[in-house]
Amino acid sequence: MKVSRRDLLIGTAGVTAGVFFTPVPWKLLGDVSIWTQNWPWIPQPPHGPVETKQTACTLCAASCGLRVRMAEGWPVGISGVSTNPVTKGALCPLGFAAHQLNWHPRRLREVRHHGYTASWTEAQSAFEKACAEGPVAIVDGRPGRAASSVLKAFAARHKTSYRVALSSESRALTPYAIWGGVPVASLGYDLESTRTIVSFGAPLLDGWGTPGRFTRLWSERAAGSSDPQLRLIQIEPTLSRTAARAWRWYAPREGSEGTLASAVALVLLQEHLVSTQVPIPQVTLTDAAAQTGLSVESIRELAHMMVERRPVLAIAPDINPSVAALNVLLGAVGKPGGVVLRNRASASPVPFEADGGAYRAVLIDSTVPWEFVPQTNAEVFRFATWDGGGSKADWLLPSPGFLEELTDVPTAPTSAADTYNVAANLVAQSAGTISPAQFLTKIDSTLPDTEKAIHSRCEEIFKTKLGAVYADQPTPVKEFESAQKMEDQLRKGAVWVGEAPRAGSFHCTLKQWPATTPTALASDWAETWAAPVFPPLAAKLYQESTLREAPARRQA
Amino acid sequence: MIARYGMVIDLDRCTGCGACMIACAAENNVPPEPPRATPRTGITPMLVRALSNGRDGADRREAFIPITCMQCENETPCVAVCPQQAVEVDKSTGIVMQIPQRCLGCRYCMTACPYHARYFNWWDPQWPPGMEKSLNPGVSVRMRGVVEKCNLCHTRFHGAEEKAAVAGRKEIDPADYIPACVEACPTGAILFGNLADPNDPVTLAAHSPDSFRLLERIGTEPKIHYKTTQDWIRALADKNANHPTEAQHV
Repeated sequence: MKVSRRDLLIGTAGVTAGVFFTPVPWKLLGDVSIWTQNWPWIPQPPHGPVETKQTACTLCAASCGLRVRMAEGWPVGISGVSTNPVTKGALCPLGFAAHQLNWHPRRLREVRHHGYTASWTEAQSAFEKACAEGPVAIVDGRPGRAASSVLKAFAARHKTSYRVALSSESRALTPYAIWGGVPVASLGYDLESTRTIVSFGAPLLDGWGTPGRFTRLWSERAAGSSDPQLRLIQIEPTLSRTAARAWRWYAPREGSEGTLASAVALVLLQEHLVSTQVPIPQVTLTDAAAQTGLSVESIRELAHMMVERRPVLAIAPDINPSVAALNVLLGAVGKPGGVVLRNRASASPVPFEADGGAYRAVLIDSTVPWEFVPQTNAEVFRFATWDGGGSKADWLLPSPGFLEELTDVPTAPTSAADTYNVAANLVAQSAGTISPAQFLTKIDSTLPDTEKAIHSRCEEIFKTKLGAVYADQPTPVKEFESAQKMEDQLRKGAVWVGEAPRAGSFHCTLKQWPATTPTALASDWAETWAAPVFPPLAAKLYQESTLREAPARRQA
Repeated sequence: MIARYGMVIDLDRCTGCGACMIACAAENNVPPEPPRATPRTGITPMLVRALSNGRDGADRREAFIPITCMQCENETPCVAVCPQQAVEVDKSTGIVMQIPQRCLGCRYCMTACPYHARYFNWWDPQWPPGMEKSLNPGVSVRMRGVVEKCNLCHTRFHGAEEKAAVAGRKEIDPADYIPACVEACPTGAILFGNLADPNDPVTLAAHSPDSFRLLERIGTEPKIHYKTTQDWIRALADKNANHPTEAQHV
């Protein structure tokens, strides 16, 4: 058959038109679209089966329960554990992106000496030399961990001092510890039983204590009600996130919170609004009004409001003896709804500042926040996972990252009940990193092992037969067949919660009303504050929204 | 059963902590934005904005409003304008789906959205070296030049469907499908559920006298409801939806 030019054209046109009635062009278009989504420089998520593991967060001392989704052995998502009786599924905003922190551009991966790369051998030699010359201090940011027992054991055997850098929440509890003769590490707040909380600037709804504990309580008993079951009165110079959501907000002048607490105490005593007898505060209402910028009527109104719905609890963000004395006056010490003594005995740690800091060297644990800068001429060995900016550290020593180290998490500083978590090492420890406990064990191989210390703590809890272990369902400790089975549960992310503190377990005696010391001003704070290393996604909070001010890095 | 997924956000319980924003970004593989990104050029499928009553001193009050795709049910504006059919309303769930593979980046949908809840990928997605290992395997990374928005964590919905299929069920277990922002909220301010189910807590909350929807007068029937007992917040919420980048006062 002869194919004419006309046939060829008709055939070509027919095929062209016909193709559009087949899936070919549409499939081609789809494939091209998908191809354009997969340029080589576009990162691809990991593939493979996803498994979920539970553990505890170690970013701060709050010990939040974490549910970690893992793919190809890497954490790819974090959420809270709704069955955790303390956090009830809540996490802080940073916790949701914490799995990205191990790849943070400021992650420390090599030893640095005065800014230059050095080796672990050099760091070890320098520390051994310092120990030989002495005296040396080891500073722990979260006492009570199994790793802390290694630091303590080293300190005891090598004539060095074991010191702690207390968190602001622990410092706020210090006056009760001194007046009551009890360890500060055993004190907490019974928020669940109180009906009025007077916060003297504590950011209760913005990162204070354990995320989820107070926020859930506030949400269930206070939010949106004009006459809430739980009254939150915020005393703070600026309209903070907590002040914005409080039932009442008072704005005294910055630094005058202590004076206001003393003035309120004076009103309570003068008008016989409380039955407790304490020494009279050395302040007059007129002077207090002048200092705080509030009227005398406002101070009186605040005092009446405090006792209207009891129990009432006053909370300070940091050490403030006047606020602590106010709690003594209000009868909020050692009672339900007040400052309580937890059942498990804790050691009384000595703060670093206690002995003037005359050391040859100071070794700082990676749990100590960056704003802790020892005011000393000592040689500073600073363990850290991320470079927190300018510091006075002579040696920067990289320590294991998030979820890279097996550790335990003791009770959070503000908790009313004892808790114990084990944070498993879900990912392998990064090359070139060593924890402080591992570093000291290299110097002295006879030091106790962290894993064994965790095991013996679990045995200790098992022997008491008190409390319950909360996994998906709570199991009383007495129902476990062995300590090992209980430990296995804890290693899988369960949390042990002890029994509620006994009422009247401790009391404080005031010999005189504490002198009012002005609280730290924001301007003072800004000089020493170092921005923590945030997950990159935290930029959503301050750059791509106006929720928070951008963190400023401290100048080196 | 045909579902209509939606939310009721209790503004009286929102503390503006931002956990929903971070959890959303981590779940949906949103990259960290370059330093030059702004609230409009960054990608925040869930964005919390601050509202103020505009008074001074102790009378001043602030509140926070999380804004996300409103999942419009009626005459969905972004669907109507998209020349690529890159936006579709899933008939079985009511979820307004953005399909980035089809998007050509014309941004008509961004102009059409009355709630300013859509975001354009101005930059190639980039993470610090190694951080791509932390990405969620269930969500593909979007490239530069396409629009994105909240799709109520549709990957989680697929996961719940798969789980139901394995168990031989036709309906998903509501406990298996919870968007990341709902799960993350520490005060439980965000209630999520099926608005087509009259007994679902979210439906009951949506019909409470304190609930309202943004720009209700334009008739798009959003499936995101808000709730507050305070009139000034209610009044400002609408104003904020229209002018998201301006400071909002009564």
